Amino acid sequence: MFRKKLTFAAIAFCFAFTGIAARAQDAGALLDLLVRKKVISDQEAEEVRAELTKEAASTAAGKWKLSTPINEIELYGDARMRYEYRGGRTASNDLTNPNDWLERHRQRYRLRIGLRGTLADDWFFGIRLETSQSNRSTNVTFGGDSSNGPFSKQDDGINVGQAYLGYKGFPDFTLTAGRMPNPLVTTPLLWDDDINPEGLAQQWKHTFTFNIGGGAAAAPSYSKEGYSKDGKGVVAPPAAEPFKLKLDVFANFAQFVYDDTNPENPIGPTPTNPDHDLFMLAWQVGARLTFPNNVYIQLAPTLYNYSGSGDSFNVPFQGDFTDTNQTGINNLLVFDMPVEIGWKLWELPMRIFGDFAVNFDADDRAARAGHPGSGGQRYAYEAGLGIGQLKAKRDWEIRAWWQHTEQFALDPNLVDSDIFDSRVNMQGVAVKAGYALADAIIFNLTWAYGWRSNGNFGTGGVGDIGINPLDQYQIFQADLNVKF
Amino acid sequence: MKIKYLAVGCALVAATMSSANADRLVIKGSDTLGAKLVPQLAEQFKAQHSGTTFDIAAEGSTTGIAAIIDGTAEIGMSSRRAKTSEVGAAAAKGKHMKPTIVAYDGIAVIVNSANPIKGLTKKQVEQIFTGDVTDWSAVGGSGGKISIYTRNTSSGTYSDFKELAMKERDYAGGSQKMAGNEQIAAEVGKNPNGVGYVGMAYTKAGGVKVMPIDGVTPSIKTVQGHTYSYWRPTFYYTNGEPSGLAKEFLDFTIGPGGQKIVAQVGFVPIK
Repeated sequence: MFRKKLTFAAIAFCFAFTGIAARAQDAGALLDLLVRKKVISDQEAEEVRAELTKEAASTAAGKWKLSTPINEIELYGDARMRYEYRGGRTASNDLTNPNDWLERHRQRYRLRIGLRGTLADDWFFGIRLETSQSNRSTNVTFGGDSSNGPFSKQDDGINVGQAYLGYKGFPDFTLTAGRMPNPLVTTPLLWDDDINPEGLAQQWKHTFTFNIGGGAAAAPSYSKEGYSKDGKGVVAPPAAEPFKLKLDVFANFAQFVYDDTNPENPIGPTPTNPDHDLFMLAWQVGARLTFPNNVYIQLAPTLYNYSGSGDSFNVPFQGDFTDTNQTGINNLLVFDMPVEIGWKLWELPMRIFGDFAVNFDADDRAARAGHPGSGGQRYAYEAGLGIGQLKAKRDWEIRAWWQHTEQFALDPNLVDSDIFDSRVNMQGVAVKAGYALADAIIFNLTWAYGWRSNGNFGTGGVGDIGINPLDQYQIFQADLNVKF
Repeated sequence: MKIKYLAVGCALVAATMSSANADRLVIKGSDTLGAKLVPQLAEQFKAQHSGTTFDIAAEGSTTGIAAIIDGTAEIGMSSRRAKTSEVGAAAAKGKHMKPTIVAYDGIAVIVNSANPIKGLTKKQVEQIFTGDVTDWSAVGGSGGKISIYTRNTSSGTYSDFKELAMKERDYAGGSQKMAGNEQIAAEVGKNPNGVGYVGMAYTKAGGVKVMPIDGVTPSIKTVQGHTYSYWRPTFYYTNGEPSGLAKEFLDFTIGPGGQKIVAQVGFVPIK
């Protein structure tokens, strides 16, 4: 009896230094071992389990109940405070206010909270709530409400940013449906980071590993270096690892519902050219080759085309002046090639990144915009250098890049909303620097300066600065990000 | 005088009622325990304790645990451990779920006697019951669409098998849910392509045979030694330490007389 009491006391002592929820979860294996070793009986083990379960049930963690199909669930998100200066200058030939600056200073916040997880049988899901109704922003401006008094909640609503379901049951394949994180490898030259496209995506990825050659042979045991002081042989050092190459090959396809037509068949006579839903289709194949010592190169050539017409973006793009169409997606057949090369310099991550895009249908896009013969304005590219990374406390990173877009190259509804104010026909430089105050707290500074690429055209697109053409542009942002 | 008679009458009625309650034991819960074992234990106990009556309802382990929580039974039979949520619900009502192991059991995987299969691995069992494999030919049989028979969701055996044999994965969509062990055994015995699981005490049904799992067949030796993969303890749950008739019946169950009945019915004694 004394031995049993001592055993129970020992078990309780062992569990005393771990969390209650952890004790209840980890107890099973230890108790099974103690039973197998005949230290305690099955009945004694059950009594200990019951006590631990009762303790776990009394904790906040123990009161959580998840539905049976959920295998794993993760709560995540981030909050950000931002100061922003954004300004744009009119053209020198503006009839009313030449060379005049329109400037905004804003204090802003954003909140994103999500749940993602896995269900039984290789299904997964995700939902994320976000501030702001914009497709390219999650920011809300302090004092930005226009009614219901100061500090009202008019623009402080929460919206569904992501809601998707997926399946990973086929080896190497991921199928996703819904409003999802962008499944394509891309850059802000084409896609603003805040956009969550809606529709279907199919992703395939396979990794090949190649062992090329071997390292240096092991030192023979009879060599001078192989003997200890007392003359006995020591273990020879192992042979060097073979040279390994890792090749990740991937293919991503997407069918995004860009614009829903409502209705396709209205009351009355059937339209001669009925509208249909507008789809954006993406076809991407790519590869990432990783060498030893963290050297890699990645390419992801992609083709984007549009099918259908919709009823919101089916007016031809013009892009000149504020009062002409800035959002039409006609005649866009865009080839895009994002590239990245990375390596380490004395443990400091470095990378060169770039993106090149061309619209194969720019001739027609320019003609319909009232600029026949200007199809040469079909290119967009960026090139930059990044040093460092932001993964842990006291990490830092700095990136600088040059960006150039031409009037008929890209879809103006998707390009980054901060660098060059959601516009095309702009070029300039951008710099971003970050420092990790803690593992999950990042301070960022962003600055960009740009100007109109070609003075013969407007700066197509709809941004925060109500000027077209945007002859010069500057933005500065200071962000404090907290991730959880 | 009338008041005196009234008082005596009330006292007699109260005494009669309490006496009736003291001799009546309500037991609810597991079909695995309650279909055969506990009724036989009750019969033997009644023979030794005249005037005792039992009220036994075997509708699944979940009902037994719930009965302890809501106070509608003195003993809750269960073939699984109480969940954290159930223990929490009990604590919220001031109840303490105390488990007592009364027998061991091995969950036997049974197939129709005409099935030529000689045994299954643990992986194959998981594949069959999750629906990864749908034809007997994939596991060495002669071909035919597998018909799966399982318990329903209130069953402790349903939960135990999911944990022990299926890594908590979901049962196959086409699996047919049965109310008890005997029903599963009956259906598998009639269906040449049938497969199901039952407690060891129900493996003697006609038309079925027990599958060795990784070469180990459920028996007293392999279950007591914990070498059979799907062994499990079965419990009486009480609200704290049992007392009165519940304690007497529990002591009888785990004593020599009760354990003899345990072995006779087909379960594995605790010693």
